Amino acid sequence: MQNPYEVIPCYLYEIIQESPLIRTLRLKPEKPLHFKTGQFVELSVPGIGEGPFTPSSSHYLSENLDVTIMKTGFVTEYVHRVKAGDTLGIRGPFGSHYPLEKFKGKDVLILGGGCGLAPLRSLFLTMLTENKDYNSITFCAGAKTPKDCIYKDEASEWRKYDNVRFLRAVDMVPKGEEWNENVCLVTKLLEKVQLHADGNPAIVCGPPVMMKFGTKDLLKYGYKEENIYLSMEKKMYCGFGQCRHCVMGKYYACKDGPVFTYDKIKNEEAIWE
Amino acid sequence: MLILKRDFNNFLLQLSDGLGNFDNVIVPQISGNNSSFFLKKLKKETGEKINLTSYRSINPVKYFLYPARERVYPAAESFPKNIIIGVKACDLEAIKILDKALLNGNFVEPSYSRLRENTLIISADCEEVSKTCHCSLVGGKPYAEEGFDLNLSSVYDYYKIQIGSEKGKEFFELMEKEIKEKESSPEEERLIRDNRKRIENELLDVNKGYTRDKDYSKLRNANEESWKEASRNCVGCGACTNICPTCYCLILNDESKYNSEKFIKVRSYDSCQWFGYARVAGGGTPRPKVHQRFRNRYLCKFDYMQSNFDQIGCTGCGRCIEACADFRQVVQNIINKAEQVTK
Repeated sequence: MQNPYEVIPCYLYEIIQESPLIRTLRLKPEKPLHFKTGQFVELSVPGIGEGPFTPSSSHYLSENLDVTIMKTGFVTEYVHRVKAGDTLGIRGPFGSHYPLEKFKGKDVLILGGGCGLAPLRSLFLTMLTENKDYNSITFCAGAKTPKDCIYKDEASEWRKYDNVRFLRAVDMVPKGEEWNENVCLVTKLLEKVQLHADGNPAIVCGPPVMMKFGTKDLLKYGYKEENIYLSMEKKMYCGFGQCRHCVMGKYYACKDGPVFTYDKIKNEEAIWE
Repeated sequence: MLILKRDFNNFLLQLSDGLGNFDNVIVPQISGNNSSFFLKKLKKETGEKINLTSYRSINPVKYFLYPARERVYPAAESFPKNIIIGVKACDLEAIKILDKALLNGNFVEPSYSRLRENTLIISADCEEVSKTCHCSLVGGKPYAEEGFDLNLSSVYDYYKIQIGSEKGKEFFELMEKEIKEKESSPEEERLIRDNRKRIENELLDVNKGYTRDKDYSKLRNANEESWKEASRNCVGCGACTNICPTCYCLILNDESKYNSEKFIKVRSYDSCQWFGYARVAGGGTPRPKVHQRFRNRYLCKFDYMQSNFDQIGCTGCGRCIEACADFRQVVQNIINKAEQVTK
């Protein structure tokens, strides 16, 4: 039986500063970490603490792992101080994953904003490996301003595929910043793309308010509750359903999720908080 | 099988002296001048303080199976071999919940599973009732019917021994070498049954005026005002969760050195009554108000645990009532509330 508390040391070989508050850490675990896209890990800064993060790289790469992290609290403050060459620790992987087998042959819609793009990038890159298995992939990504846009350098690469669309929107463009793509809320992008809701999956991740209104819009466009996949990231402390910090009623975000379909959790309390 | 109480107490002292190779012989012992009992390691000089037959001890058995603070990584290589004597039926119920939560999930809590394996549990029928006891309200009994290795029922100067497991049988064989035993007479059997009945009646008496609801899921529908009212004097200290035999919420602290490559993780109890519980980076928390946290605790015990474990999380031990700074009969209030909500 695997010890769920086991910490795998990881060598930090590169840091990409995605935006003023968001950076991607590129890690090499001491032993391969086989996760499925959508699952999360507990990343430790030694002596400081750990927090739950979903890898943002394809699950086909088990030797290396990217984790995209926004500076918002105590641990992430220190995550933003580590340097290439440092050692961090990882426990996991934990939780549920995106059921790729159910997406095959479908028109897949991915909707995300802010740092919520991290797990979606993992899903997207994993799907790109076998992109012909999917009828089409539409990825709508949002950010507050052009400066807050993450994975900037990858967009042109992602747009090379025939059956893949990658759309971006920013909420606003402050003076002095340049932007030649959409300026609107990310949920408004749904109006611009030709949606084929019927029986097709939509995957949503982002700030709670975006997930709430994103879900409402998708329902309006005819997506079925059981086909809307939400990444419910809470304070998953232990990762394996024992500490109870991430409970949503009778569910645990860490072991029953973090990937839930909307129909499963719609009656639980405070899901958008 | 009957054995003399005096012989059994002497045998316990022999155990604490090294017989059977137990690292800790844990027995309820009278604390100070009052009539409460602490589960404590038995020492020669505390032999007279043993009390196996009263009501449940102040500290729950979870303290010895799932300690308040424990290094979990790197995990300890060896765990002590313990024997706990005088465990009450309510605590056996609690162990059932801990087993479901910590052993039967997707992951096994490594140190709990080792301590559980290494611990022999000898339960004992209750011969007294505390004013906070209310196992009768949650479907419990003041005597154990399963979940023990051995069980003791008091009759005159004797204990009747009942074997509940293979581990218990082995222990009994060790005991047989030291203690003389005799068969119980039908009269003695009847006395034991009568005594059990007497305690059950006392419990009903202590708890008269309170009723039990069959379906606590209705608690969810109670309005916010009634939770505010119920938690009016709650200061969110977390005593109720720390002493609760079925609470197992944890936090994991990183005790590695900064910049070190050796990781150390330490698990401690957490409490859903504390503001920082479930707080996320950036300061957001799903339950910022005391009454919301209070509600969460009772829904967890009476509703969520029922859905997750097919058993409610309250064993009726009454420790939370005793530990509460306010000393109101909160649990009983809640048990009644489920009824009120649906009226």
